[in-house]
Amino acid sequence: MTGTEVVRRSEQTDRRAPDKPSRRSITQRQRPLWMLAPGGVLVLVVIVIPLLLALWISLLDLDQYSIREWIHAPFLGVKNYVEAVTDSDLLHSVWLSVFYAVLVTVVTTPIGIVAALATQQAFRGRGLIRSVFLIPYVLPAFVVGTIWRIILQPDGVANRTLGHVGIHPGLWLNGPKSFWTLVLIQIWASWPLIYLLALSGLQAVDPQVHEAAALDGADWWSKLWHIIGPYLRGPVALAMVIAFLHNVNNFTLPFVLFGVPAPDDVEVLPVLTYVESFQNFRFGLSAAMAVCSLVLVAIPIIVYLRAVRLDTADDPDTRRREA
Amino acid sequence: MSGRQRGSGMSNEVNRLLPRPLQVAVLVLLLAFVGGPVLYMVLASINSDLGVAAGEFWPRQLDPANYVRIWSTVDLGKGLVNSIVVAGATALACGLASVSTAYVLVRHAFLGRLTILRGLLALQSIPGTLMLLPVFVLFASLANILEITVIGTRWALFITYLTFALPFSTWIMVTYLRGLPRELDEAARVDGASSWRILTRVVVPLSWPGLVVACIFAFLLGWNDVLFASVLTNPDTRTAAVSLQVFGTSQEGGAIPLYGQLMAAALVCAVPVVALYLAFQRYLVGGLTAGGVK
Repeated sequence: MTGTEVVRRSEQTDRRAPDKPSRRSITQRQRPLWMLAPGGVLVLVVIVIPLLLALWISLLDLDQYSIREWIHAPFLGVKNYVEAVTDSDLLHSVWLSVFYAVLVTVVTTPIGIVAALATQQAFRGRGLIRSVFLIPYVLPAFVVGTIWRIILQPDGVANRTLGHVGIHPGLWLNGPKSFWTLVLIQIWASWPLIYLLALSGLQAVDPQVHEAAALDGADWWSKLWHIIGPYLRGPVALAMVIAFLHNVNNFTLPFVLFGVPAPDDVEVLPVLTYVESFQNFRFGLSAAMAVCSLVLVAIPIIVYLRAVRLDTADDPDTRRREA
Repeated sequence: MSGRQRGSGMSNEVNRLLPRPLQVAVLVLLLAFVGGPVLYMVLASINSDLGVAAGEFWPRQLDPANYVRIWSTVDLGKGLVNSIVVAGATALACGLASVSTAYVLVRHAFLGRLTILRGLLALQSIPGTLMLLPVFVLFASLANILEITVIGTRWALFITYLTFALPFSTWIMVTYLRGLPRELDEAARVDGASSWRILTRVVVPLSWPGLVVACIFAFLLGWNDVLFASVLTNPDTRTAAVSLQVFGTSQEGGAIPLYGQLMAAALVCAVPVVALYLAFQRYLVGGLTAGGVK
């Protein structure tokens, strides 16, 4: 299942859709479009309607008193947005979220690539090492948060161990260092994503390429840079976009690590939106903030959509590769 | 992955990408980076609560009874049952819905097909915090208008998780079904089988490896979620994730924080997930790279 076709999607239209024209008459009569109905209804009720509702709520003066009768809540227009931008922590949170997401993505990328390079060729114990590498990524985020929260307690194992070598780092989960704590732990938890996608890129390298490089007597660095590098560029770029989206949307890790209300230095956008809704009960303001967060992910989503090939149905090459 | 060992010693050296000393250094460093905290987690889960609070790495006094106490202190049993029921039901329903949706998307041409494919990818990246409030308001309104209680029941989580799992599971099935030869279901169609019959008798039996992956990812989404579960449940319907988070928070500032038990409970919550991954690693890694979503 190599789904990430990183080849840039050529312009395709429904005209090149899967069924050959000659067969169309049969299939068109029997298209079981009703099978789309269950999924369609769910997506409509739980995603599309709530999205529109979020837009509407962001225009209302909605708090814990008016929530029961939210249809009759006073209409504010864009006042919530004005307040969010001028008189709330929104811009601070947006900056924190973007900085944190970019930082984690930039640091995890070389780690993931190097790990993939080190486990690409077969050796004894490789299967075990690959499994271990996946553990931080497969641990639920709430478990990762719980573990590190205990490790980083003021009297916890991290400070005690560092104290033995004469370093006294002080507080991890509060104060200015908490931001770097969040970055560090998200790096720990998320680097295997880049690793996996880089590994899938390396597996696409033809064995003959290795042989040719050996015949030419290329040293390892120029082989990596000039020969292997181009294979990795696409998968790694895609991995970085996905990693950014994961990081910027991550709610569970900061929520479990720092609790709510979060310290100022780790009040990333998802946490701020949550606190504004379910701690301060400023539902309208919170919805306005959430809509702003959509703008934040829109650009990466567009890049992602353009990078992934949607329709490989009549490309025999990719059809065979799946097997 | 272990199936690619035809390379003997010689050709294996040709495949080498890093010089051996560098490779060994990278592997050792990464294993320590990953293994340190994981090892600590296991050790702390059998350490006494005092020992963990005092920052011991190697337990001075083993206390495996942590694993007995958590069932009363953390209320973990109820949480695990809720998690298994909700995530399990989500997985089954999602498998069914995703295979039928993907089948239509892969085998049939219709207007809006590419839009749906695009939507499958885009919907995975919608921030959950954007959806939480309106979903909450919608469910609350159902209670007012139709007099059905949704919030606080397992149904609320089931419907929510099912919907959010559906795009990714469907995408996995789309990439899988593309690999199946279309001649098989065309033959069945020529024999006069209905679409439903083709789906259940031809497509599902052939695509179960993909279906397992789609189900497991739906299960994990339900199992790992804290955001929706923290708002849509009450103490009776709490999932394990919320039980653990609530217990963890309640230990802050207490006289004797029960950190040993907290670690044991965290480990119990992690084991089913890690076991699932390791058991199906070969298939799941393919699924992960198919869309890069946890």
